[in-house]
Amino acid sequence: MMKKYSPAKWMIALSILVVVFSIISLSAGAVWITPKEIILSLLGSSEGGNKFILENYRIPRTILSILIGSGLAVSGAIFQGVLGNPLASPDVIGITKGAGLAAAIVLVLFPKAPVVTLPIAALAGAAIVAILIYLFSFRRGARPAVIALVGVALGAICNAAIQYLMVKNPIGINVALVWLSGSLWGKSMVEVLMLLPWVIVFLPIAFLISDKLDVLSLGDDVATSLGENVKVLRILLLILAVILTGSSVAISGTIGFVGLLAPHMARRIVGAKHKFLLPTSAMLGAILILVSDSIGKGLFVPIEIPTGIVTSVIGAPYFLYLLIKK
Amino acid sequence: MRSLRKIFSFILIGAVTTGIFVGCSSKDTEVQGNNTSSDKAIVIKHEMGETQLSAAPKKIITLEYSFVDALAALDIKPVGIADDNKKDILIKAIADKVGSYTSVGTRSQPNLEVISSLKPDLIIADLKRHKAIYEELNKIAPTIVLKSLESSYDENINAFKTISKAVNQEEKAEKRLTEHTELINKLKSEVAFDASKTVLPAVVREDGFNAHASSSFTGQLLEKIGLKNAIQQTNGAYAEMNLEQLVQLNPDVLLIMKSSEKTIIDQWQTNPLWKNLKAVKNNQVLMVDRNLWGRFRGVISAEEISKEAVKLIKENK
Amino acid sequence: MRFLQKEKSKDNLSFRLMIVVISLVVLFLGIAVSLYIGSRNISLQAVIKAIFIEDGSKDNLIIRTIRLPRVVMSICIGANLAVAGVLMQGITRNPLASPQVFGINSGASFLVVAATVIFPSVTNYSLVYFAFIGTALSGGLVYFMGSVGGMTPVKLALAGMAIHFLLSSFTQGMILINENSLDKIMHWMAGSVSGGTWDSVSVILPWTVLGLFIAFLLASSMTILDLGEEIAKGLGQKTELIRMIAGIVVIMLAGASVSVAGPIGFIGLIVPHIVKYFVGTDYRLRIPFCILFGSILLVCADVVSRFIAYPFESPVGIVTAAIGGPFFLYLAQRKRGTKE
Repeated sequence: MMKKYSPAKWMIALSILVVVFSIISLSAGAVWITPKEIILSLLGSSEGGNKFILENYRIPRTILSILIGSGLAVSGAIFQGVLGNPLASPDVIGITKGAGLAAAIVLVLFPKAPVVTLPIAALAGAAIVAILIYLFSFRRGARPAVIALVGVALGAICNAAIQYLMVKNPIGINVALVWLSGSLWGKSMVEVLMLLPWVIVFLPIAFLISDKLDVLSLGDDVATSLGENVKVLRILLLILAVILTGSSVAISGTIGFVGLLAPHMARRIVGAKHKFLLPTSAMLGAILILVSDSIGKGLFVPIEIPTGIVTSVIGAPYFLYLLIKK
Repeated sequence: MRSLRKIFSFILIGAVTTGIFVGCSSKDTEVQGNNTSSDKAIVIKHEMGETQLSAAPKKIITLEYSFVDALAALDIKPVGIADDNKKDILIKAIADKVGSYTSVGTRSQPNLEVISSLKPDLIIADLKRHKAIYEELNKIAPTIVLKSLESSYDENINAFKTISKAVNQEEKAEKRLTEHTELINKLKSEVAFDASKTVLPAVVREDGFNAHASSSFTGQLLEKIGLKNAIQQTNGAYAEMNLEQLVQLNPDVLLIMKSSEKTIIDQWQTNPLWKNLKAVKNNQVLMVDRNLWGRFRGVISAEEISKEAVKLIKENK
Repeated sequence: MRFLQKEKSKDNLSFRLMIVVISLVVLFLGIAVSLYIGSRNISLQAVIKAIFIEDGSKDNLIIRTIRLPRVVMSICIGANLAVAGVLMQGITRNPLASPQVFGINSGASFLVVAATVIFPSVTNYSLVYFAFIGTALSGGLVYFMGSVGGMTPVKLALAGMAIHFLLSSFTQGMILINENSLDKIMHWMAGSVSGGTWDSVSVILPWTVLGLFIAFLLASSMTILDLGEEIAKGLGQKTELIRMIAGIVVIMLAGASVSVAGPIGFIGLIVPHIVKYFVGTDYRLRIPFCILFGSILLVCADVVSRFIAYPFESPVGIVTAAIGGPFFLYLAQRKRGTKE
């Protein structure tokens, strides 16, 4: 554990990194826009043709990267805290698969539906899976192991359903695949405004109740003896996590690995105290998506590699490395 | 705990309301073309509403192959094409007319930055693929959305007409369509396909045989030149088949589009049932250009597909 | 407890015999229906004749060259996956262990797809080895990831899902960047036995026979292993060796199956549990019954899958998911005891 520096110092360092990577994200793309130009543009001077790209694509995508990254990361951290398992994350627990299935259903079976139904469907899908998990595990006292396993089972079912859709509609599935791969392509200020309220409201809530997660990690018995209603607390925290994940996934599709990786990285540098862990995870998650998106849109112009693919490619080996290091 | 829950639900309700409010107010705005109207304004009705063009566009970007086809048929060169980053994907008949262009990325995720940097005055997008970015595209340039992916032959012809209106070449388009119909009819009489016989176009992979039925683009097109499809169905343009079903259908001509070097046909060829197929016995198992037949739609492509079909059938009679 | 009482009645030889008989009947029925149904229904008389005699007629050929190999392949794969599942559950003492939950299916199919892309002329026989590598790599990875800090069923399940998620996003990425590869990749997303030929049977049969044979040999050792790590060691068993051999068998059985039919899920998960319910925990009984029940499940699922998009084909994985999914759910929330 690298705890040479205090968590506070780490968090400051990370916030600087967030700014740095934001600038890189603003610069990267089909055209490299120099940081100088960016700052000038932001300050109001109308500098040539790049202003359009900057305002319409780069800035929204960068903001979205930060919002989604932090949402997914904190959600992952909460899942790991509540379920007491470092491998828990919304992807693996089937929440994002549920959202994916709902989106695939809309895209493949109801292609004429207006575009706005997609985020709503995704959110609904995530919520339905979450409710099902709750229903199936509540009888067992909402024990973490059961929640996790039920989640995996539901995820497998959703996966099979998605595959079924793909097989029955091999051509139409192209469109669904774009969504399922998780991408910030084509997102604009509209999407930013749709996601912003959720993150602004629920991320601080998560930070505020972070010490509850610490209590939970002490074990059910200890927590109960400290006066906490463990069952209810777990459910509330999970609702929070599902909202954070669901809203992000509703906007960008299923971007994987962030919820798994960011909390792990955060734990290694600031320790397990959730007061520090959550904000650190958020920042690391933001950085992860900023980097992935920059690579995705800047590396093979004009091809856009979906952000979700890049996070998987970066995330998996690194995750493995983290596991080995333990 | 109680207070936690109260605050929680309160904020939950608040956020949900905000979310819905924001969501609804933003995406349902009236679709507007972004050019001021003038006397010469052309109003194009397309799949997602109406778009106004103040003059015949000069710099056009096409986000599907069938649109490239349409422009090429009108002797217009687009400045940007979504070509999946494959410079040689365009079939020769179209590539010759189009010349050089700038690639704007994949059809499924065309690069908005590149598109905007080309400063186009018309963008032609596909309904299924690009519905979600329609407003974004409109910000760059007037955009019309037409059916291409999974479209039928008739829908393609209609799209061609719409495009011709957008580029102010309606007369030329009419002439071209007349030529097109004449060519189709000429090919029909050339091949003089017996009405009792059937053809079956299919994409063959290593592990499967995906037939194109009568309602698919290829199916419809071939029927226009008198080649009746072995699978007559209206619900579903494709049919995943095994050898047994193929034997049952026993078409007179097989038009095979190979999607890889090794295909399931290699295995089937060793089966005596295969050898008994009418198409096999009459030497009418014809390999056709997968790229052309599978990916391209449009006036020119339809002609090329039909020409190839007729040529191969006649050659092997 | 009721559980113990059930155990007693199951020790009853006649009970078990009855199960065997019923299962065999079901199996034969399944095979018969599978041979009967198709693009056109062929009379049972002709079917039986076709199995033994070749007379060159169309129906005869259809049975002999298309339906029969398909049924044989279903039997092999069903048996393979079920036995692979029961071995995996024994090795990890995790009731959820199975080729699919462990991401083994995804690993094998991903590597097979990669192989066909990189080496377009690879033969079916060689593909099996790629599947083995894929199986070993993903299986090993999941095992490793799941045992960090002490192996628990939950960790393994989560690790498996993580691997699966990773590989499917790679695959999806491939499709997006190169839309043309969609054709190739479709099959590997959901397995199917519809393309079964004698060729593919000849690919999978040797591994089936070898794997199942070794599994038989391991049976009594697996039973002892099931008793618990300390007890097994105390009885003089080389637990690591047993695990390793069992692992190799799993790779053989699961890998070969995926290489010919693609990833078919849920069989390795649910069959061992159903078998356990009927015959208890002795692997000398469990393994043969897994072979029997696994075959039945896949043969029947294959028949059902032919009705989904009648008269055309659908992947059998859809049917196994429809049956297995809810069962998986039931298993997940039925978990007893805190093996945390």
